[in-house]
Amino acid sequence: MTTGAITVRPVPPAGSALVWLTTTDHKRIGIMYAVAAFAFFMVGGVLALLMRAELAQPGLQVMSVESYDQSFTMHGTIMMLLFGTPMVAAFANYLVPLQVGAADMVFPRLNALSFWLFLSGGIIVLSGYLTQSGPADVGWTGYAPLNEPTFSSSTGTDLWIVGLALTGIASIMGAVNFVATIFTRRAPGMSMFRMPMFTWTILVTSLLILFAFPAITAALAMLLLDRRFGASFFVPTEGGDPILWQHLFWFFGHPEVYILALPFFGILSEVIPVFSRKPLFGYRAMVLATILIGFLSMSVWAHHMFTTGVISLPFFSITSFLIAVPTGIKIFNWIATMIGGRLTFPTAMLFATGFIYLFTLGGITGVIVASAPLDFHLQDTYFVVAHMHNVLVGGSLMGMFAGLYFWFPKMTGRRLGERLGKTHFWLWTIGFVATFIPQYELGADGMPRRYVDYSPDLGWGTLNLVSTMGSLLLGLGFLAFLVNVGLTLRRAPDQPADPWGGNSLEWWTTSPPPEHDFESLPPIRSTRPVYDARIAAEQARAGPVTGES
Amino acid sequence: MSGATGGGPGRDPGRLALLSVVVALLVGGCLPAAATAEGRQIGGLYDVFVVIAAGVFLLVYALATFAIIRYRVLRRRDRGEPRQVEGNELIEAIWTAVPLLVVGGLFVGTLAVLSRTEARAATPAAEIHVRGFRWGWSFDYPTEGVAVSGLGIPGPEVVVPTGQPIRFVISSDDVIHSFYVPRFLFKRDVIPGRENVFDVTVEEAGTYHGQCAEFCGVGHSAMPFTVRAVSPEDYTAWLASERAGGASGSEAFPGATSLPAGSP
Repeated sequence: MTTGAITVRPVPPAGSALVWLTTTDHKRIGIMYAVAAFAFFMVGGVLALLMRAELAQPGLQVMSVESYDQSFTMHGTIMMLLFGTPMVAAFANYLVPLQVGAADMVFPRLNALSFWLFLSGGIIVLSGYLTQSGPADVGWTGYAPLNEPTFSSSTGTDLWIVGLALTGIASIMGAVNFVATIFTRRAPGMSMFRMPMFTWTILVTSLLILFAFPAITAALAMLLLDRRFGASFFVPTEGGDPILWQHLFWFFGHPEVYILALPFFGILSEVIPVFSRKPLFGYRAMVLATILIGFLSMSVWAHHMFTTGVISLPFFSITSFLIAVPTGIKIFNWIATMIGGRLTFPTAMLFATGFIYLFTLGGITGVIVASAPLDFHLQDTYFVVAHMHNVLVGGSLMGMFAGLYFWFPKMTGRRLGERLGKTHFWLWTIGFVATFIPQYELGADGMPRRYVDYSPDLGWGTLNLVSTMGSLLLGLGFLAFLVNVGLTLRRAPDQPADPWGGNSLEWWTTSPPPEHDFESLPPIRSTRPVYDARIAAEQARAGPVTGES
Repeated sequence: MSGATGGGPGRDPGRLALLSVVVALLVGGCLPAAATAEGRQIGGLYDVFVVIAAGVFLLVYALATFAIIRYRVLRRRDRGEPRQVEGNELIEAIWTAVPLLVVGGLFVGTLAVLSRTEARAATPAAEIHVRGFRWGWSFDYPTEGVAVSGLGIPGPEVVVPTGQPIRFVISSDDVIHSFYVPRFLFKRDVIPGRENVFDVTVEEAGTYHGQCAEFCGVGHSAMPFTVRAVSPEDYTAWLASERAGGASGSEAFPGATSLPAGSP
C-alpha cells in the first residue's frame, strides 16, 4: 500500500486461523468458548477417571497422595470454572443475539476480550503442571489457612489464584455484555415477556455473575496479598480470619452453582416445548421462578458452613429449603408441557427428559443437606459429593448435551447422528447412576471426601468399585459424543433453517446463520414468533383466510 | 428419527423410572445407628426427610413417566398440533403452595432437632479439650489432669462415660480440621483461633471410629481417632489408671502436649 491511499483492511479468507483469532462475531466466539471449554473438560475428566481408579480399592495403587490432592483441586476448578461457566458463555454468546433478533452483542470487542482473558486465565491455572511442585493442591474451595504459604508453598497455587482472577474478570465482562445486549438489542415487538426462556435465564445468570464474581475476585486478591506481600487477611495467628475466606468464597460459590444451573433450566424450557409441540406451560411462572431462584441463591451461601459453628443455622436452612419451591415449579411446568403434547424423542429430547429424572433426585437430596442437623452428619462426606455431581452431571451436563444436540444443526448446518447420540445418552445415564448413587450410600455411611485412601475394615470397597466402573461408562459415553461430532463435521451441511419445528427467532435464519445473523425477521407477537409464522404460512397454503385465527 | 419409532423407547424411560425407585430406596434410610442421644434425633429427622423425599420422588417420576408413555408419538402418521395449552393458574398455585407447606414442615422439624444439638448442659460429666493438628489429635481432660494424644494411624483413643452429657471444646493448632464420629451422626469444624463447643450424651457403650472431615493436607485421610464409651464407673477407673501412669492399655501417647511435629 502506498501512503496517502485509503487502506482497506484485507479480509482473511473464511476458515483461516486468522478469522478465528481476530473475530468479534458472537457466533464464532460462542463456538470458541465451547471448543476451549471441552478441551479443559477432557483434562478434568481424565483427572476424575484417575481419582476413581485410585479409589476403586483400599490402598494406594495409582497415584501419590500429593498428586491425588492436586487432582481433586484441578478437577473441581476445571469443571466449575474452566468448563461449566465458559459453556454457559458459549451457549449465551451463540444464542442470545439470535434469540432476541440482534446482529451481534452490543459490545463485540469486549466480547472477544472476555474470551481471550478466559482462555489465558485457564492456561495459567493449568500451567501449574509445568512447575516443579505441580499445580494447586488446596481443593477447589481453597480453604484458609491451608491456602497460606506456610501450608501450600507451591507456585501452582499462586498460578491458580492469578488464573482464576482472570477468568472471573472475563465472566464479569461477559455478564455486562449479556445484560446490555438483552436490554438494548431486542428486535421490535420483543417485549421482556416475549423473550425466550433461555434468554431470560441468561439475564438472571448474568446478574448473578455481576453480584457474585466480584466477591471471589476480591478474595483471590486478598489471598495473593497474604501469600506474596505479607498481608494476613486469613492468617489466624496474625489477627486474620480463615472464616472470612469461607464467607467470601461461598458468597461467590453458591450463586456459581445456580450460574451453572439456570442456563440449563433455560435450555430445557426451549427443548421440551419443541418436542412436545406445545408452548411452555406457565411461561410467566417460569420467568418468576427463575428470578426467585436468582434472589434466593444470593442468600444461601453459608449452608456450606453449617459445621463451622459460627453462622445462623436456621436462617441459612430456611433460605436453602425455599429454593426447592421455584425449582419444583420448573420441574412441574416441564412435565405439564409434555402432558397433552405430541412427544418425539430425538437425542436432544432424551437428554432433556433424562434431566428431569436425574436432576429431581439431586434436588431432593439438596433439601436433605439443607437441613443443618442432617448436614452435621453429611457435610464433607461422599453424600455431598454425590449430591453436587447429581446436580451438575445429572442436571447441568444433561441439559448441556440436550442443548448441543438441539442447536448443533443451527451452529454447523449438520445434525448429529441419532444412533451414536442415543448410545451417548444411555451410557451417560447408566454411567451416572452407577457412579454417583453408590456415593450417596458411602456418604451416609460416613466416608469423607478428599480421602486418597480408606481402611479396608470400613466396608467401603464394593461401592467404590461400582462407582469406578460407572465412571468408565461416563468416559465411554463422552467418547461416543466426540466420535459423533467428528463424523458429523465430515459431512456436508444439509440442514434447513428450522429442522425441528422451532419456536424462537434463531430458527428463522439459515443454518448456520450469516455473519449479521438475519436477512429478515418475522413479526414478533408472542413468545413463539417462528411458530406463529409457520402456522400463518400453513394457513395461507391451505387456502384463503376465512377468519381471524 | 431413526431408531426412535416402534415399541422400544416407551419401555426405556419406564425401566429408568423403575431403576431409579430402587435406587432411591437404596439411598434412603442407610445412616449408621446413632450412638448418642443427639444422634438419634438427627437420625429420626433424616428418616422423616427420606419418607417425604420418596413421596416427592415417586410423584415426579410417576408424572414424567405417565407423560412419556401416554403422549409419545408412536406412528409417523400421527400428526397435527395438540391443544396449545399455555398454563393453568389453579394448578400452578397448587404446586407452589404445597411444596411451600412441605418445606415449612421440614423447617419446623429442623428447628426442633437444632434446639437439641445446640443445647449446652449446665454441668457436663466430662469436659474434653480437643486439639486437631497436622496430622493427629490430642484430648485433654483439664479438670482430671489426664491427656491422651496420637499421630497418624491408628491414632489416639478418647474415653468417655455413657449416659451423661459430655462436652467437647475443640480447636486447631494449624489449619481447619473437622471432628467427625460417624456413629454420632455429627461433626464440627476444628478451627485455628476459635473454640467450638458441643455436648453429646453417648447412650451406648462401645468403640466408635472417628476421623478428620475437612481437607487439611497430605495426611488428611490418615488422622483417625477412636472414641471408647464406657460406664461411668469404668470411666472413673480409667481416669485413675491414666493418672497413675497410663497403664490402661489404651494406645495413648503419654505427655500429649509436647509431641514432636511431623508425619507418622
